[in-house]
Amino acid sequence: MNYNLALSDETLLSIEKPERYIGNEVNSVVKDKDKVDIRFAMCFPDVYEIGMSHLGIQILYGMFNSMENVWCERVYSPWLDCDKLLREKNIPLFALESQDPVKDFDFLGFTIQYEMCYTNILQVLDLSQIPLLTADRTWDDPIVIGGGPCTYNPEPIADFFDVFYIGEGETRYQEIFELYRAAKKEGISRPDFLRKLSHIPGMYVPSLYNVTYKEDGTIESMTPMFEDVPATIHKELCLNINDVFYPTKPVVPYIKVTQDRVVLEVMRGCIRGCRFCQAGQLYKPLREKDVEHLKQLAIESLKNTGYEEISLSSLSSSDYSQLPELIDFLIKNCSEQKVNISLPSLRIDAFSLDVMSKVQDVKKSSLTFAPEAGTQRMRDVINKGLTEEDILRGSHEAFLGGWNKVKLYFMLGLPTETDEDILGIGDIANKVAVEYFETMPKEKRNGRTIDIVASTSFFVPKPFTPFQWARMNTKEEFLDKANKTRKGIMSQLNQKHIKYNWHEADASMMEGVLARGDRKLCEVILKSYKKGCIYDAWGEYFHFDVWMDTFKECGIDPLFYTTRERKDDEIFPWDILDCGVSKSFLLREWKNALSGKPSSNCRKGCLGCGAAAYGVGVCQEGKN
Amino acid sequence: MNKLRLKFSKNGPIKFIGHLDVMRYFQKAIRRAEIDIKYSEGFSPHQIISFAQPLSVGATSDGEYMDITVNSMESAADVMNKLNAVMNEGIKITSVAELSDSDEKAMTAAYAAKYVVRFRDSLKPDFDWINEFKKYLSQEKLPAMKKTKSGEKEINMKEMIYDYSFDEKDDSATFLLAMSSSATLKVALLFGTFFESISKELSPLALDIHRIDIYKLVENESEKYIEPLICNDIESRYYLNA
Repeated sequence: MNYNLALSDETLLSIEKPERYIGNEVNSVVKDKDKVDIRFAMCFPDVYEIGMSHLGIQILYGMFNSMENVWCERVYSPWLDCDKLLREKNIPLFALESQDPVKDFDFLGFTIQYEMCYTNILQVLDLSQIPLLTADRTWDDPIVIGGGPCTYNPEPIADFFDVFYIGEGETRYQEIFELYRAAKKEGISRPDFLRKLSHIPGMYVPSLYNVTYKEDGTIESMTPMFEDVPATIHKELCLNINDVFYPTKPVVPYIKVTQDRVVLEVMRGCIRGCRFCQAGQLYKPLREKDVEHLKQLAIESLKNTGYEEISLSSLSSSDYSQLPELIDFLIKNCSEQKVNISLPSLRIDAFSLDVMSKVQDVKKSSLTFAPEAGTQRMRDVINKGLTEEDILRGSHEAFLGGWNKVKLYFMLGLPTETDEDILGIGDIANKVAVEYFETMPKEKRNGRTIDIVASTSFFVPKPFTPFQWARMNTKEEFLDKANKTRKGIMSQLNQKHIKYNWHEADASMMEGVLARGDRKLCEVILKSYKKGCIYDAWGEYFHFDVWMDTFKECGIDPLFYTTRERKDDEIFPWDILDCGVSKSFLLREWKNALSGKPSSNCRKGCLGCGAAAYGVGVCQEGKN
Repeated sequence: MNKLRLKFSKNGPIKFIGHLDVMRYFQKAIRRAEIDIKYSEGFSPHQIISFAQPLSVGATSDGEYMDITVNSMESAADVMNKLNAVMNEGIKITSVAELSDSDEKAMTAAYAAKYVVRFRDSLKPDFDWINEFKKYLSQEKLPAMKKTKSGEKEINMKEMIYDYSFDEKDDSATFLLAMSSSATLKVALLFGTFFESISKELSPLALDIHRIDIYKLVENESEKYIEPLICNDIESRYYLNA
């Protein structure tokens, strides 16, 4: 146990939830710092409760600490009260395990899960007293490395990072550490080290590339400054998903966090080609874990943590081919141990309803459907293979099984969207209500009734999706569409059974700018941070006006990144990366979308996206 | 089925873990230790555990208690050892006792608690607090305003202080204070009221409180005394004045 906390008792007692800063959680790893030669600070740039819920960090944390000479510790964004105290008292930000300053570490890694955390990255660097710009760092500073989905367009934060690790983290760190040890031993300069680092597959060192722009502001070229630096960076991918490290001793927090349970990743990737979905493309091809392996991981993790709940994690658990066997096993083992099973991302059908009725209280739980769009035409455009018939049949069976709460998720602002699609949202919600009343005659309702919540989010086009060419709606268009949706719902016969929620448009617009932004945005982010913007992902702390002022100051039009029509042959800031699917495939899918043509999924028929080159997973099914 | 009372200590950074989180910590520890704990009936069963008294965040203790019910066990000592094998440093089970059906719950049995109180280094009083405190305590009545659910009421702290002593070398005070369902005196109220009586301000962060033990009342025909909830040593008994 580490009794020497970085913060005094008085400080800890004067801030909210001191447990965020004291470390010492069950399964956290403490090593002798004199016996390791690499100290890695792994950061999720958001508050502890969010960061501690992230599986990726638990994987890398466990994997690094399984290496004898490496000690990995955790860092999260201090909450605003603690942030203020650290600045006032000039206390450098510290890692939780050793409570040592982050600036003394060899590496500082960030997992970057959403665009709205960018200013929190600067907060962590700043509080750590590490120069915010890669150009200003020396060997006295840690190597700042970024990973996670947002690094598939790292350009808006390129100036703040020494290197980005593109792809799955399990594959290359051993090599990175070896190179670092050698560099320290040989005494080479930091820039020379970064240049050598760029030779390791998956490593993108943004300072080694020149970017030139056309007159219209789009990119003309992105070229390496040196011949030995790769012109394209290919994503890293685990070729054997059963052999890679998986943490069965994850750190167990004291305070309640968002994901407060054992998380069992059953597979990586997705066969569904929803055209708006970035994760679906980034993690291709789908690779399933062996069911016997998963059973063992589940038992070990529950034993090592004492959690009372286990959750299956994947992009679409219903597509896991061994799902019935895995669930049977879990139900049998977990009921004895009084462990709850949580099954997110299940398609609603007879099988899942049967399973859900066994593992949860039907009366309290709700059914979730994500049709994403209000008409079949629109769903064909986005290639979401869920029909109205699926929803109504699923609802029918669920109502018979005792459910009476339904959640429906939609997006507004999808490409080619018309008023008809928007009004279709209210229409589906109403049909679900009608289905309830038809399925459940009054005498069977026991005084209960149907309860529907329809939610819409605003569509944000993301890199490496067929919609990367799409024009994003303006704030005004979004709000107008939300208004139409609300009116559409209000005009329904069963409107009093339907509740409607919609997202903030300001944050969606900002997310859209950052998602498809280029290097010019580094300045905007830096300046907004210096004006006090942090925790932008937390609605109440997001200062849209400050951001907009900063854009003006920097002479950058934010709408350039959102509402602009992109030509088929435009060079995107992220084109320097290869995520495993080809641009020609994405363009083909974009054209299919515009003509309302749905595509098959990976199991029904290969679309030739390019991921088959990895020679693993679903691309190999039926070939052996 | 067996009912057990476990005594545990809480020291070091763990002192910042709030009461509810300590409960959650033990629920998980009991699973890790594979104790055959009894669960309540119903759709969301929970472990049968109850704690004697919450400890405030920031305070340490060598005398915390919880009662648990198990379906089966090898021995009480085995339960203690299994739990200690999965404990975090900072929390340690120090003794265990089997309860009979007639024993009251720790929560109900609690009658008093003993504390050592110091001041945190940065917030030490700038006056001879020990001497002032002695004078204060020698008064016949020690009125204080206690916050209750419905407002404030006046209490006499004097009847709730069963014993006290000061250690000038250590700059600390030890208090044995009432802590039962009918009367509880908190260290912070006692110190706060004392400071107020001499027109001094007490920072809410100043007190470094360590709970030594929690006591129950034993009353029979011949004698009346209090002793720790698990008592292995009659030396630790206090005889209360009639």
